[in-house]
Amino acid sequence: MTNLQPYLRPTSIEPALEALAEGKRTIIAGATDLFPSRGNLSTTIEPILDITAISELSGIQPEGNGWRIGALTTWADIGRSSLPPVFSGLCQAATQIGGIQIQNVATVVGNVCNASPAADGVPPLLTLDASIELRSTETTRVLPLNSFILGNRSTARRPDELVTALLIPKYSTTRESPSRDITPVGGFVKLGARAYLVISIVMVAAVAEIDSDGVIQAAKIAVGACSAVPKRLTQLEVDLVGTSLGKGHDALSRQITADHLKVLSPIDDVRASASYRLSVTPHMISQALLACHSE
Amino acid sequence: MQIDMTVNGRAYSADVEDRTLLVHYLRDHLGLTGTNVGCDTSSCGACTVHIDGQSVKSCTVLAAQVRGADITTIEGMANDEELHPMQEAFRQCHGLQCGYCTPGMVMAATSLLSENPDPSEQEVREGLEGNLCRCTGYHNIVKSVLSVAGGQS
Ligand SMILES: Cc1cc2nc3c(=O)[nH]c(=O)nc-3n(C[C@H](O)[C@H](O)[C@H](O)COP(=O)(O)OP(=O)(O)OC[C@H]3O[C@@H](n4cnc5c(N)ncnc54)[C@H](O)[C@@H]3O)c2cc1C
Ligand code: FES
Ligand code: FES
Repeated sequence: MTNLQPYLRPTSIEPALEALAEGKRTIIAGATDLFPSRGNLSTTIEPILDITAISELSGIQPEGNGWRIGALTTWADIGRSSLPPVFSGLCQAATQIGGIQIQNVATVVGNVCNASPAADGVPPLLTLDASIELRSTETTRVLPLNSFILGNRSTARRPDELVTALLIPKYSTTRESPSRDITPVGGFVKLGARAYLVISIVMVAAVAEIDSDGVIQAAKIAVGACSAVPKRLTQLEVDLVGTSLGKGHDALSRQITADHLKVLSPIDDVRASASYRLSVTPHMISQALLACHSE
Repeated sequence: MQIDMTVNGRAYSADVEDRTLLVHYLRDHLGLTGTNVGCDTSSCGACTVHIDGQSVKSCTVLAAQVRGADITTIEGMANDEELHPMQEAFRQCHGLQCGYCTPGMVMAATSLLSENPDPSEQEVREGLEGNLCRCTGYHNIVKSVLSVAGGQS
């Protein structure tokens, strides 16, 4: 442990996994979460495993019936990609994260592994039913996102594991008897104290099937920054079916009751009070659904 | 660790502690002090440089991570005695007051225009959201960038 080399930058996955098996190391990708939180690096950080030279970890690829988002995929890569409309929420989140210099280096997987309650990437990924692929020298395992993130800054990753990719399955509808295909579309909205460079007070992602009359036929909704781990609102998802978006923002947000939000447990912090968070959430959900419709 | 990279077209090599940030490498080891440090939270953008043409905050990158890369800093923008058009525009449009944010602004603005040569005012404001200025109120900075964009097209 004491003899670990302070900085390693392997060019393939195997030596990276061997290094993790040897002793505890801090993994760095874009380092945009890590460096700002650590101050003077050379004196305060444990040995580093820099994964940015591992080319096998980059790229967004179709895999099976779904998609594989490699661990080095940056927010700029997502923003520039031509993923199908179900990913629109993730793409909208990508362009709202931290300014272009941050988007150029910050990774989606780093956002997830950092496990901040306010990580903008997590709600859209929850609505895409994403899973996390973890590898060690011994095992490869795949965990659904909601069992990977355990709490504020806490994940199910063992110290010897590297997250190698996010896996997005082919969209599966929650409609009971889908008689015809409706293209699922994603949307994302974030509320902050100002427009740019801001930690979200509340963010909402949605993926919805909206028919040609503007009626919701299926919806997946996730809310962030209102609980230690962003949450899907499954009861609301069921109750929204049959709702017409034509009735407008106000009527739509009034349909969302306290009961629908009871899985949330927002806190008071410097950015907003818990009650403010709860009171804006229905409006944010309504806007996220309207964003799915306008895409 | 021995670190080799090209900065402003010139090959440099220096022996530094493994975990030296790029911004410190540029300033303290290469003496390129035009790249400023304005914060310790990667928020202000004063340290923006180009790494292989993309704008990045040099306080979020280790020097070791960009071994072999092609880096451009503010010192690499002017051509001998002639200012880069973006620097000239900042001068003409009063895009700076104290000048602390200016190197980062110029680097972010030039990479913005290389991706989007004819941006709207809104796109310039969005493209510079990672750069903070405590003096100008941004208006003249946006004007400077738009004047170069207009001049190019
Ligand atoms: C100015 C600024 C603005 C920001 N704005 C936003 C914002 O608007 N919204 C938002 O959500 N975030 C924001 N962030 C936070 C940050 O940029 C994002 O969370 C980013 O996606 C993190 O990615 P990264 O590659 O930089 O992660 P890193 O800092 O490299 O890593 C983050 C954590 O994940 C771990 N990790 C990374 N990759 C792996 C892997 N493959 N396997 C295992 N563990 C891994 C690291 O060890 C570390 O603990 C901002 C940051 C800054 C500096
Ligand atoms: S010094 Fe790098 S962003 Fe402020
Ligand atoms: S000119 Fe002073 S910080 Fe921008």
